[in-house]
Amino acid sequence: MRKGDRSYKSRFYAKPRGAEYEKVMKDGTFPDKYRWCKWVLILTMVILSLRLWHLQIMQGNEMRRQSEMNRIRIKKIIAPRGVIYDRMGRVLADTRPSFNLYITPEDIKDFNQTVDGLATLLGLDREEIIDKLKAASGFPSSFPVKIKSDISMDELAKVEANRVYLPGANIQIEPKRNYPYGTMMAHMLGYVSEISNDELKKKEYKTYSPGDYIGKYGLEKMYESYLRGADGEKRVEVDAMGREVRTLDMVEPIAGSSMYLNVNLDVQMVIEKMLEGKRGGCIALEPKSGAVVALVSRPAFDPNTFASGISKEEWRAITTDKTHPLQNRVIQGRYPPGSTFKVLTALMALQEGVINEHTGFSCGGGFPFGNRVFKCWKKGGHGGVNVRRAIVESCDVFFYNVGLRLGIDRIHKAGDMVGLGKRAGIDLPGEASGLVPSSEWKKKTYGVPWYEGETVSVAIGQGAVWLTPIQLVQLSSFVANEGVTFKPQLVNKILGPDGKTLKAFGPVINVDVKLKKDIFRIVKEGMQGVVNEPSGTAYGSRVQNVHMSGKTGTAQSSTLEGGKNLGDHAWFIAFAPSEDPGIAVSVLIEHGGHGSSVSAPVAKAVAETLFTVKPEIKEAKAGASR
Amino acid sequence: MQVDKRKLYHLDWYLIINGLILFAIGLMNLISATSSFYSGSYGFIIKQLVAFCAGVVLIGVIINFDYHTIAGHAHIFYFVVLAAVVLVLVWGMAAGGARRWISIFGISFQPSEFIKPVLVLLLACILHEKKREKALLGPRDVLVPFIWTLSPFVLILLQPDLGTGLIILLVALALLWFVGMKKSTYAILIAIGTFLPLVAWQYVLKPYQKQRIYTFLNIDADPLGVGYHTKQAMIAVGSGKFFGKGYLQGTQHKLQFIPEHHTDFIYTVFAEEWGFLGSIVFFILFLTFIRRCLKISQDAHDDLGSIIAFGLATIIFLQFTINVLMAIHLAPVVGIPLPFISYGGSSLISVLISVGLLLNINMRRYMF
Repeated sequence: MRKGDRSYKSRFYAKPRGAEYEKVMKDGTFPDKYRWCKWVLILTMVILSLRLWHLQIMQGNEMRRQSEMNRIRIKKIIAPRGVIYDRMGRVLADTRPSFNLYITPEDIKDFNQTVDGLATLLGLDREEIIDKLKAASGFPSSFPVKIKSDISMDELAKVEANRVYLPGANIQIEPKRNYPYGTMMAHMLGYVSEISNDELKKKEYKTYSPGDYIGKYGLEKMYESYLRGADGEKRVEVDAMGREVRTLDMVEPIAGSSMYLNVNLDVQMVIEKMLEGKRGGCIALEPKSGAVVALVSRPAFDPNTFASGISKEEWRAITTDKTHPLQNRVIQGRYPPGSTFKVLTALMALQEGVINEHTGFSCGGGFPFGNRVFKCWKKGGHGGVNVRRAIVESCDVFFYNVGLRLGIDRIHKAGDMVGLGKRAGIDLPGEASGLVPSSEWKKKTYGVPWYEGETVSVAIGQGAVWLTPIQLVQLSSFVANEGVTFKPQLVNKILGPDGKTLKAFGPVINVDVKLKKDIFRIVKEGMQGVVNEPSGTAYGSRVQNVHMSGKTGTAQSSTLEGGKNLGDHAWFIAFAPSEDPGIAVSVLIEHGGHGSSVSAPVAKAVAETLFTVKPEIKEAKAGASR
Repeated sequence: MQVDKRKLYHLDWYLIINGLILFAIGLMNLISATSSFYSGSYGFIIKQLVAFCAGVVLIGVIINFDYHTIAGHAHIFYFVVLAAVVLVLVWGMAAGGARRWISIFGISFQPSEFIKPVLVLLLACILHEKKREKALLGPRDVLVPFIWTLSPFVLILLQPDLGTGLIILLVALALLWFVGMKKSTYAILIAIGTFLPLVAWQYVLKPYQKQRIYTFLNIDADPLGVGYHTKQAMIAVGSGKFFGKGYLQGTQHKLQFIPEHHTDFIYTVFAEEWGFLGSIVFFILFLTFIRRCLKISQDAHDDLGSIIAFGLATIIFLQFTINVLMAIHLAPVVGIPLPFISYGGSSLISVLISVGLLLNINMRRYMF
């Protein structure tokens, strides 16, 4: 090939050949440039290698850790809470799946976009979301913070449809506490709610984290450690959007232990129905074991609202309600026991020998003492009465006399003997102790001596006597059992998730007293007469086929509402069957009027439910098992 | 046209084999990088292979013509590519907020990729002419090459494609340096070089481009935006440690923590899976390839061949270096593909055109 062969060559100069060529190559413009190039290449290699050494070797472990943190999230799997059954195995509280909205701070790309987006979509308060995020600020930013519990299907659809614009927001399906009977048994079962920031700071709650549910009331609180179970967790791989790609490993949650109660749902429902719309409480238990068959307090609340995350307004409405729906009247409501207290006065008077079966007092409708006259409820008076008739007809004058003979300190001793004035020890939190006064107590509390006139009032359950319905059911049991009472017990047994019994609660004796022969016979005869004799104060509530024994009480109340006295508290304590007591009941209806007309029918219904079969009860049973 | 057997014999097999190894690594890496995509790797690999075949055919065509002939038509290629770039600006398809693509007969092109070798050809011709007249270029000699460079530069910045614009500007400067300039020319260029960036900052750079530079200077100021991606890229590279996580085992790119991990950030995929060891081998392969290009420049038959080969070597070197520096946070984030490795037909074909021209120059080194 020759130079002249190609015409285009004329436009370019070929490199000189031979010696001249060699010279150009040595002394020309380019060779020193190539030396520069070589150094640039070497420098590049050095810089890149050093930087890689720094990143991959020196910082390698840290970078590897960060890449792991990027992709691995630990997600909590909430354990389903233990189921609560009644004694026949009917479900009183269980769990259902619910959708909860969480924010994972680490996955948020634009804080305002996610937070404002959620606030607008779901109508939430922006500040509330920020507060919740702040509360969890001590936790790693990959920790999901619960923003709203139990969102509706509608809200779920809104969030899911906008997931792309809400990085960091995610929805998890978690078990949620469910109370199928709503307000029924609210005070007994209690409720669960999200753990508060104050609780989180306490040592005993150190295994909890924000957003966890905790039993805050009733059995839920009492047996929290059993019901809670153990949350599981899974390690998942997530992508840059925070979406789960796959599960790496998983620790299964352990469901909470389930509880069988002594409660009989049929009896419970009958009482709930009868107290509907009233204020009051009722407890029914088996005197021979202390097993609580029913416990009702009214007005009540719906524990489901707490489990779904109660709003500030709802909480305010409940706590400022003048009827105190959160108060469990059975164990926290202290009332003067009224005439039901006469049972105790009679017991002690007979025991102390101040009176005997035949001791009689004349009732003319009033009892002059000091410069005033204590009236009997029956204006015309009862005439001559012995202790039996005094109980049946609830003669006040008889007990004024007896009370004076006994003196306040022996009445106080009687209270101690039966265990009144102390907590009965039911397995519910917050039980109040009652008060049966003594002269010493008054001196200590008020610094003034006891007046005899006060004894007259106390003898018939007025004045400074304050007892709760659960303490009075113990009085009823004391008589029914002839000197023995048991600790009231709601829970019968706790079963672990494997179905094995973890704990069984047998009867625990509270009081075991030997009294003189015949005392219980006399008082029981009187109490049976109350219901079963035409002159008895609760004759209207006698039960067919079964003998019920009881004592009415109408306690004066000085509570004023709008300048008007709301009326007396209606009491009734009872046990049935009289011959072999299987149930003891105490009923209180605040401002209900007469114990005989308002409270006694509740006890009658309980006895009927348990000991006779009527068509309407069958309906109630069918309703409960639904 | 008959291919002279002696010329085939003079084909630079070192360059070819080195390039093939890089391409094979690129394909293998691309399988891993695209494995997390919903559609899978298959489509990407096929497209990349088709582009490779097209590129090989182009190499065949290129080596058939004497590079003097090709350089002689450089201005035609230049205007064709420039027209395509203008077309892109008018009708182009937008991707990621920029208009860089044009579709002809259903095949998408990125014309700005082709401006790189074409501009080298054109500037080489011009500079070679100047070189015949004087040993060192004066300030006025620099003017003409600059005008030829400036038009594509501005058009590409308008797309906007800061990366490619930067590359052609740097290549033009490198060529001037290579041919040789007077000291006064250096002085003027340095003066402009300090003044121009200020103007660019004020009037040319888009907010997102400025943001990238801010972020480069302070990565932690923006942990969720651009800084997030840089940070994730560094984590990907660093987490590879010495031996890497193993092929197909990288989590950073698979879980979408790194954007553009099959194109501009593809090096992070390689570094995460092959570690320090693999990266060093990879760098050596690249730098020997560039060394080989420079050797071709050194051995070229004439100055024209030397200048062209140097320009092409510079393009590949700059793309490689800036791309890797960006991934390891030694340079701000700009969209520059990694030659042979990044996914993208236009980029691959452009590189293969360069390879074709280099082979062309090399096989004609003994031509008298």
